[in-house]
Amino acid sequence: MNIIEIKELSHMFSNGTLVLDKIDFSVKKGEFIVIAGPNGSGKTTLLRHLNGLLFPTGGTVMVDGVSVSEDPVRARRIVGMVFQDSDTQIIGETVREDVAFGPENLCLGRKEIEQRTSEALRITGLTCMVDSRPHLLSGGEKRRLAIAGVLAMKPDVLTFDEPFSNLDYPGTRQVLKQIIELHKSGCTIIITTHDLEKVIAHADRLIIMKDGKIVRAGFPEQIISDAELFGIKEPYFSRMGLGMISWLS
Amino acid sequence: MAELTSFSYRPRISLIHKIDARFKLLFIVIIGFLSLKASLPSVLLLSVFVVYGLVRIGISIWQVVRDLYIFIFFLAFVFAIRAFSAGGAVFITIFEMGLTYEGLIEGSLVCLRIILMILLGLLFTSTTRIAEVKAAIDWIFKPLPFISGSRVSTMTGLMMRFIPVILEQARETASAQKARSIENRKNPVYRMVKFSVPLIERIFYNAGRISMAMEARCYSDMRTGQKLSSTMNDWITLIVILLIGIISVLFL
Ligand SMILES: Nc1ncnc2c1ncn2[C@@H]1O[C@H](COP(=O)(O)OP(=O)(O)OP(=O)(O)O)[C@@H](O)[C@H]1O
Ligand SMILES: [Mg+2]
Repeated sequence: MNIIEIKELSHMFSNGTLVLDKIDFSVKKGEFIVIAGPNGSGKTTLLRHLNGLLFPTGGTVMVDGVSVSEDPVRARRIVGMVFQDSDTQIIGETVREDVAFGPENLCLGRKEIEQRTSEALRITGLTCMVDSRPHLLSGGEKRRLAIAGVLAMKPDVLTFDEPFSNLDYPGTRQVLKQIIELHKSGCTIIITTHDLEKVIAHADRLIIMKDGKIVRAGFPEQIISDAELFGIKEPYFSRMGLGMISWLS
Repeated sequence: MAELTSFSYRPRISLIHKIDARFKLLFIVIIGFLSLKASLPSVLLLSVFVVYGLVRIGISIWQVVRDLYIFIFFLAFVFAIRAFSAGGAVFITIFEMGLTYEGLIEGSLVCLRIILMILLGLLFTSTTRIAEVKAAIDWIFKPLPFISGSRVSTMTGLMMRFIPVILEQARETASAQKARSIENRKNPVYRMVKFSVPLIERIFYNAGRISMAMEARCYSDMRTGQKLSSTMNDWITLIVILLIGIISVLFL
């Protein structure tokens, strides 16, 4: 069963720039997908269509069988999004409050909210800083807080927009480990990046975008050698013919 | 948004943090009315209490002065007008305007009242979560017909959410311009335009981004709110404030 189905999706901003041009693809439940593309190729714009932050100017986006434009709130409940810039995603005045923000919006009971909040904080390893002010956290901690805020809403699909930007080596590994664990626990994962090396070893499928079009899609092993044609660095391990090597090993 | 301005919530465990937000709003109203009736010494006394409260919860008074320095010019202006325009015996004449003893007292009183209200606001915002303010406003508006309490409280909550963002943006815009030597330009109009246009653009851009982040997490005015509960402590504090008020109005 496809949890996401995109048909001929086009998006033109009000100033006339066509950012997505007839995108077609679908995502199966439990898949791990990496969308790669250079700056400005339309990755963020594409993700925003999945949870109704933008609506298609052409074509359709279906989430779990229902069109996103018809019921964006439902789409937002099913598809959680971790933004490219965690600073703007943080809303609460303390770490705990920020994580509780989503479940509160779902009109859950207090007890359920507290339970979800502490679980999300535990998973992301932030339990020891529940009362800190989010804006004083380090970049890696902020990213994990953004993830916790989305996890507490228990979405089926998690989208990550450049989850490794601004993170150092340990920070990257920590976030990567979390993403992989979430995938193991049954979440569908969609990650955008221009840096394949960090994540490609874990992906089921790779989609390469350029100028708002999908230019390659398929198994990572088969198409990764084409990445450099479209302005994405090919990981050294694949260039050396070493197969896929995880950043965690 | 790494740096912080004074006007934002500070998580702490203190007596003031624990007071029910509805009571805090009530206290502000009471103290506001008191300060209108009270004389200079009692307003001074109230201000000392508030400053003490601010220091106790760890706010640096210097930081506040620095954040609000433009406001000091405004206060000086108000003070000057009052000081020179009140009746009474003139004891110095500057540029043909008489400075009177009564004027000085009245100028100080007016300025002190304004300062007191600002400090109270600061004390309130730094010890009350926006969610609590929202719940309190919700509670106040609930019995009123024709006004949707949840709408009003949502808007107030959003407004409080955006004030620190705006202050932060202003500071960032200013430092970005200083870094490129805006000080070499002497024309104040040029500087004002070059400051306000990018600032406004920035504020709208950021407001858009934050509201998008809120929307992504299903924000609406139908949501589980903060539960408020008043304790014995709140009532005791209310009685203490009323007593202080009555005493200061009667005897000072
Ligand atoms: N609101 C907007 N109005 C007009 N054009 C926009 C708007 N938002 C984005 N664009 C344009 O759309 C294009 C794609 O932007 P998008 O943010 O989706 O790219 P991206 O692949 O995420 O890039 P990056 O790797 O830099 O994050 C860019 O050329 C950008 O200028
Ligand atoms: Mg992007």
